[in-house]
Amino acid sequence: MTVMKSYLWQSFPGAKMSDAVRLQVDDFSVDQEMTALRATSLRIGGIASFTGCARDFSEGRNVMKISFDAYGKMALAELNRLRTEAIEKFQLIDARIVHRVGTVLAGDQIVLIVTGSEHRVAALDACHWLIDELKARVPIWKKEITPEGDSWVTPHP
Amino acid sequence: MMKILFFGPVAERVGLREMQLDHRSGMVLQDVVAQLKAAYPAAFEIVCFTAVNETQTRDMQQLLNDGDEIVFMAKFSGG
Repeated sequence: MTVMKSYLWQSFPGAKMSDAVRLQVDDFSVDQEMTALRATSLRIGGIASFTGCARDFSEGRNVMKISFDAYGKMALAELNRLRTEAIEKFQLIDARIVHRVGTVLAGDQIVLIVTGSEHRVAALDACHWLIDELKARVPIWKKEITPEGDSWVTPHP
Repeated sequence: MMKILFFGPVAERVGLREMQLDHRSGMVLQDVVAQLKAAYPAAFEIVCFTAVNETQTRDMQQLLNDGDEIVFMAKFSGG
C-alpha cells in the first residue's frame, strides 16, 4: 500500500459560462443562467428554477460556512446524465445545472437548476425532480463549519 | 498499481484522499475492501457506495485491472 500526499481539494477543469452543466468554486448569477437558457429557443414558454442556499442555522447550531467536497469527474458526469434524463423525461427544451464546490459562507448560493419547456408544468416538475435526483445521485458532500466544530451533513429529504 | 480515492467524510476518517495499491492477477473488489476495511474500520462504517473507474458497482466479485481507479464513498449530501 503506497500512501499518497494528502491534499485539500482537487482542481477542476475551468468551467465556462457556456457549459450547461458546471461544478465551480465561484458564485453564479441566476439572471445570467436564465438568460442563457432562454436564448436557446423561442419555443420556451415556461422557465422554472431552484436555488439552494447555505443556511446559517442547522441542527441547533449556527453555521458560518459550508465546505463542499466532490468526486469531480463522476459528479460532472452524473450531473450531465441527470440533465439529459430530465430533458427526455419531461420533454424539456433545455436545462442548466450549476453546483458550487469549495467553501461558501452562510447566505451564499450553492446550487442552481433552471429548466425550460413549452409549458409550465414540465419545467416545474423537472426542476423538482432534478434537485431530488441530484441529492441522491451526485457524489458531493458538505461539511458545516460552526463555532462548536465542523461536521459532515447527514442527508435528509 | 491501482489508485484508491476517498472524499468528504470518508477521506477525513481515513486521513488521506489518495493511495495506491499493488495489483495482483485475479484480484476482485472484495480483496481491496477487506484490506482497507481492516486498516480503516471507522471509515468503512460510513461507506455506502463504491465506484470503479467512475462507475458505481455493488459487485464485490468484480475483477480489477491494473490502473483501475477505485473510490469508496459515504452517502451523498450535495445540493
